Amino acid sequence: MQYNRLGHLTRQDTSSSLGPLAFATQIRNMSRVKRRHSQPPFWLPKTTRTMYPEELTPENESYVSEVIADQYSSPLKSDPWERGAWHEKSIRCGVIARKIGIYPMWTKNGTRLLTTLLQVTDNHVIKYIPPEDLMETEKKANRLRPTAALIVGADAADPRMVTKEFFSLFSETGILPKKKLSKFLITPNAKLAPGTPLYASHFRPGNYVDVAGVTIDRGFQGVMKRWGFKGMPASHGVTKSHRRGGTIGSGGEKARVLPGQKMPGHMGRERRILKGLKVWRINTHYNVLWVSGPAIPGSTGSYVYIYDSFLPTRKYTAENHPPFPTLFQDEQEIDEELYDPDLHVFSEPAISFADEK
Amino acid sequence: MQTTHRQLLLATPLRLCCLRQRFYHKQTLTNAVVQKKRTELFSKEAKRQAALITDIEKIEVKYYGHPEDCTLIMNKNMSTPFNCAQHINQMILERSVVAEVDGQVWDMHRPLEDNCGLRFLHFRQNDPYYANKAFWRSASLMLGAVLESVFKDNIYVELCSFPSPNVRSGSFVYDVDLKITKWEPTKEELRILSGEMVKLAMASHRFERLEVDANLALKIFSDNHFKRNQIPHIAAQSSSGNTVVVYRMGTFVEISCGPMISNTSHLGKVSVASVHPIETNDGQLFRVQGVALPRGFMLNHFSYGLLEKRAQRLNSGRIPVIPTVESLPPQQELSAA
Repeated sequence: MQYNRLGHLTRQDTSSSLGPLAFATQIRNMSRVKRRHSQPPFWLPKTTRTMYPEELTPENESYVSEVIADQYSSPLKSDPWERGAWHEKSIRCGVIARKIGIYPMWTKNGTRLLTTLLQVTDNHVIKYIPPEDLMETEKKANRLRPTAALIVGADAADPRMVTKEFFSLFSETGILPKKKLSKFLITPNAKLAPGTPLYASHFRPGNYVDVAGVTIDRGFQGVMKRWGFKGMPASHGVTKSHRRGGTIGSGGEKARVLPGQKMPGHMGRERRILKGLKVWRINTHYNVLWVSGPAIPGSTGSYVYIYDSFLPTRKYTAENHPPFPTLFQDEQEIDEELYDPDLHVFSEPAISFADEK
Repeated sequence: MQTTHRQLLLATPLRLCCLRQRFYHKQTLTNAVVQKKRTELFSKEAKRQAALITDIEKIEVKYYGHPEDCTLIMNKNMSTPFNCAQHINQMILERSVVAEVDGQVWDMHRPLEDNCGLRFLHFRQNDPYYANKAFWRSASLMLGAVLESVFKDNIYVELCSFPSPNVRSGSFVYDVDLKITKWEPTKEELRILSGEMVKLAMASHRFERLEVDANLALKIFSDNHFKRNQIPHIAAQSSSGNTVVVYRMGTFVEISCGPMISNTSHLGKVSVASVHPIETNDGQLFRVQGVALPRGFMLNHFSYGLLEKRAQRLNSGRIPVIPTVESLPPQQELSAA
């Protein structure tokens, strides 16, 4: 049994999420059926248009590029929305980041740990969905308390390359269309005006975050890699069954293969959430977060979604809560490099000597 | 007794010419009725002019261009540059917009009069200036056709004119008298107008050209006081002194001097962008503006949106000066037919 983002208890197929470390009671259900979705749902607007050669002169093409640069260079001018105050049950917006690599870090007592670098690339809030509108699509979210949503986009796309329908989502806000969109469920006091930029400084070193992403697509895999089966010996008379699954049923009264039987099949390309990862370092110039652990779902360059952690032992208090609803970096000075107090910083002096008398 | 006689007149329009005129007169004045009358008069005149040619004489037409220069033997006053293209090549036939006959821009469906040199103009050549201008002019004419047919029957639309085409201005234009003081069309209404333009393009109407006597032109446009006042001026400027060039596209008839494109199917993306009220010496008119691209020119929605935004600005084309009765100089009165 696990807690999901809104504090609801859910049943999960724990055996699948923990891989070879199977629990004593294996939960057998149809939750793993139809995991692969090669196309987004049909009701979402198509993002990219069919490409055709446009017979524009070079002067005209550069003119349109200039118009795009002029139109979208100035920051959003609109009446500022009121900024909500933090309370104990507040849920902030998350950010969309790209996994850019893995790097080792050392703590002050010499422990080496691997961290993943996550770059928050050009995030903007696209839309705010108030609780009454969210009720239409996500009834469960509003069961315990009024929940709102923010649609956040990452990475600007060329407006000439997207379809008109997709472009219309952004034209009201006056920002360039985005390559990646995501919906974050929030409490209404954490709302942000459409067009607000989100940076890595939304978090601070020492915060704990949950990172969600899509795992690497490993394709069709056998039971040894997919489920951690032990296989059979390479020699000593084993006939054609070195990496196979062996028996798939017990025979007897059940007389069938039970649902959820582990077999070869498609592995990877699934959404997984890693919980309680500590943020060790933030670079505010390049918007990079150093997050503990080398196993963030996805390959280098893939998108991940970062939220404040939901673990009950990582709850914020009134004294240590993060900037709410976000850190408005354009309004204040901020250091370029922010480090967790436990982190050893190579650029700082390690040892200082007192003056000899 | 008299009432029954009159009722008979209305119920059964007889084929006698004078009775037909009285029939038109008795019907309420709507754009549909007026259009029908104009096309019938145009068809009659076209047939009459065709019947004047009794012998078929041959002319030599020297064609210069792709795939090779050649000489075509065509019929005098009957063959058109379109017919010449039919002899040459499918590609030339489809892409040609206007023709150039002895250095003069010539309609594709206008009969050739004498031995000449022929070239075809299209949109993708190095300097498509004349093709673009003809395209803009034809788009204005099509806009006039749309405006005449799209309003409800209780509004009688009188088309005034359109200024000389200027592609660089960003929009093609038609000035129209709607006899209402204010019209601010919604986005939906503009979309409907654009849809009507697209329908005309899909219908692939030919632009038929005819040179008519000024008196016949006055008869054709007797229901439009703007055209009635313009015809004497136009006729006086023609080479013979008494003729007016008239174009027909589908069921729409219009006066225009310059060459038009061969077919409405050359129109690709088109949008009616805006409507501006303009003040003339004789009252208020509405300047309807649009922008279009020829068929086959693909453009993404963002760049086309920039063209539409530009077309929304009031076009700098000449505001029509409406010649009223007082302004007509005495020597330009026409002799009775």
